[in-house]
Amino acid sequence: MIHLRNVEKRYARGSESVLACAVDRLDIQKGEQVALVGRSGAGKTTLLHILAGILRPDCGEVEVAGARLDQLGESARDRHRGRHIGMVYQTFNLLQPFTALENVLLGALFGRGAGGDARARAELLLQKVGLGERMHHRPRELSVGQVQRVAICRALVNDPDLVLMDEPLGNQDKATGGQVLDLLLQIARDGNKTVVMVTHDPQSATRMQRTVDLSTLRGAAVAPAATGGGR
Amino acid sequence: MRLVSISLRNLRIRLVATVLTMASIVVATALYAGILTMAEQTKARYEGSIGGYQAVVGPKDASQLELVLNTIFNVGDAPALFPLQACIDLREGKGFSRRGQVRYAIPQARGDSVSRFNFPVVATLDEMFSVYEWQKAPLRFDQGQGFQFGWQDLKAFAEALAAHENALRAGETSPPPRPQLLPAWKQCVIGARVARTLGLAVGSEVVPVHGKMGEFGYHEHPEATCKVVGVLAPTNSPLDTTIFLPLGVHYLIDGHEGGVFVVEIPPGKTPDDAKKLPVSPGRLGLTAVIVDPKDHFGARILRTDFGSRPDAQVAWPQDVVPKFLRQIGNVADALAVIAWLVLLVAAVSITVAIYNTMNERRREIAIMRSLGARRVQILGIIVGEAALLSFFGALLGLVVCHAAALALRGLVEDQTGVYLDWSVVPVWELWLLLGVTALGGCAGLLPAVKGSMTQVADNLANNY
Repeated sequence: MIHLRNVEKRYARGSESVLACAVDRLDIQKGEQVALVGRSGAGKTTLLHILAGILRPDCGEVEVAGARLDQLGESARDRHRGRHIGMVYQTFNLLQPFTALENVLLGALFGRGAGGDARARAELLLQKVGLGERMHHRPRELSVGQVQRVAICRALVNDPDLVLMDEPLGNQDKATGGQVLDLLLQIARDGNKTVVMVTHDPQSATRMQRTVDLSTLRGAAVAPAATGGGR
Repeated sequence: MRLVSISLRNLRIRLVATVLTMASIVVATALYAGILTMAEQTKARYEGSIGGYQAVVGPKDASQLELVLNTIFNVGDAPALFPLQACIDLREGKGFSRRGQVRYAIPQARGDSVSRFNFPVVATLDEMFSVYEWQKAPLRFDQGQGFQFGWQDLKAFAEALAAHENALRAGETSPPPRPQLLPAWKQCVIGARVARTLGLAVGSEVVPVHGKMGEFGYHEHPEATCKVVGVLAPTNSPLDTTIFLPLGVHYLIDGHEGGVFVVEIPPGKTPDDAKKLPVSPGRLGLTAVIVDPKDHFGARILRTDFGSRPDAQVAWPQDVVPKFLRQIGNVADALAVIAWLVLLVAAVSITVAIYNTMNERRREIAIMRSLGARRVQILGIIVGEAALLSFFGALLGLVVCHAAALALRGLVEDQTGVYLDWSVVPVWELWLLLGVTALGGCAGLLPAVKGSMTQVADNLANNY
């Protein structure tokens, strides 16, 4: 599902070039659930954006869901992301003027299309996460936990092969967030979806099948069997 | 959900800015549509109204345009008087009429009006309803019929009035009596709009007035109160707003005595001296004669005869009106340019309004991009916003234009003689709607390009 080779991403800061992320090798198989950990500034979010195709690496090979993202143009990467990848952010990034249902449909609109069945799919997902009665409410009218569930529904509405999460429990109490995360992981397992979660919380990382420390990805090959952890 | 739903939602979120920006589009579109409507309907009205007027004979002092506008379109005051002799020559003269080149020559005199709407009063002959042809057919009546006052009545009246006047001027102690206003003459025929506006019908009474209500010199002529004997069918022309009464009534209205005869001042004489000179029936004053030459030959003779005549001239509405309309068209074009400039300013205001929101919308755009939206889709959403804003503005502008035409049609008709038909939706309105929408879409391009260039990672990361 994910194969990275000799990937580097640098940012220009003034006249300096700062290395934001470097991965010699990373392989994640289809259906795996992986926690990506590392110290602050290690490049976790940058790596997540590279996996999503939002950022293009300066060098190296990035293969995600059968596509060589490092070789694709921006528009093709956008299309690939819409169809194959779902994303959940720390701040959930729902659009405030839109209702819960419309936020989920936005994911479909830019993914596989927001036709009639997309609406049915979105409503089913919202009902599945317990928001059947709240789907016409706007984000500010929902609790943090409910917003998180809407964000998860939006990530899943296109039935993606890969779900990327960036600190999804960062903004809420662990108990509530954990329950929602478990729900997502269950849905992912049922659908044999690959999940990659960036987190700095060791407890959250244990919910995943495998934990990868970003600092170990430089100078050492990281394959499914190399680093273990989780349940 | 579609991209257009997002555009619409974005407009709704910024409702105040949307309404204010849209207002400029509404004004510009209404202005442009109003100018085009006025120009188009004026042209149609003027071109359609000359159907019954081949030639108009009038005073030499007036311009041909003045003569045509006053006689056919009831615009402005009657320019001057010219002698009845010109009409006699047309009908009975040795030159023109003997050759039988004129189908009719109907004299008219005007000056008074009726009601606060200033519906013009035109004194004429009964031939107006029997011989005169409006678009190749006699005028039709919705009710009643024409009055009775013919050419022979006018000639007899002119002779009696001239005899009385000459005796007075000669200082005779027992002059022949002044012709009396016969009860049989106190009849009138009214146009369809006069009847509708004033609620008049056959049997109603009409009192001519002099001057405009509220202005100096305004007074009624109760002695010339006429009974309505006929109501004309609508013609969608100035005939609808006209009141026709017999010429005899016009000359006998109190206060008209001084201006009944056209007096020529001989060299070396003062106007007061001229008032003592004898008058002839042919010097009775008219404001116009409506003439219909039988054919091109007749028209040529008419042109030649009146070209050298010192007291009267002939105007050809078919020549004068198109020239006039070209002048109006030029003014309309100039106004249309101004309206387009207003529209351009409105388009710039759209650009500025949306461009200014781009910074605050970077996160929203980044989120959509992270969901898979391509740059071109972001471009489409923002251009769509501008286009929708313009579309609704233009639509509202057209509604405002039609509403204004409905509300102001009476006033416009009174002032210009043009009847604004607010219910007509011409094809160019559709093109205007599409044009303004396209212009708005173009105005949205600059902010759209800026929005589509939003850096996704940076703007998502800003919120962590």
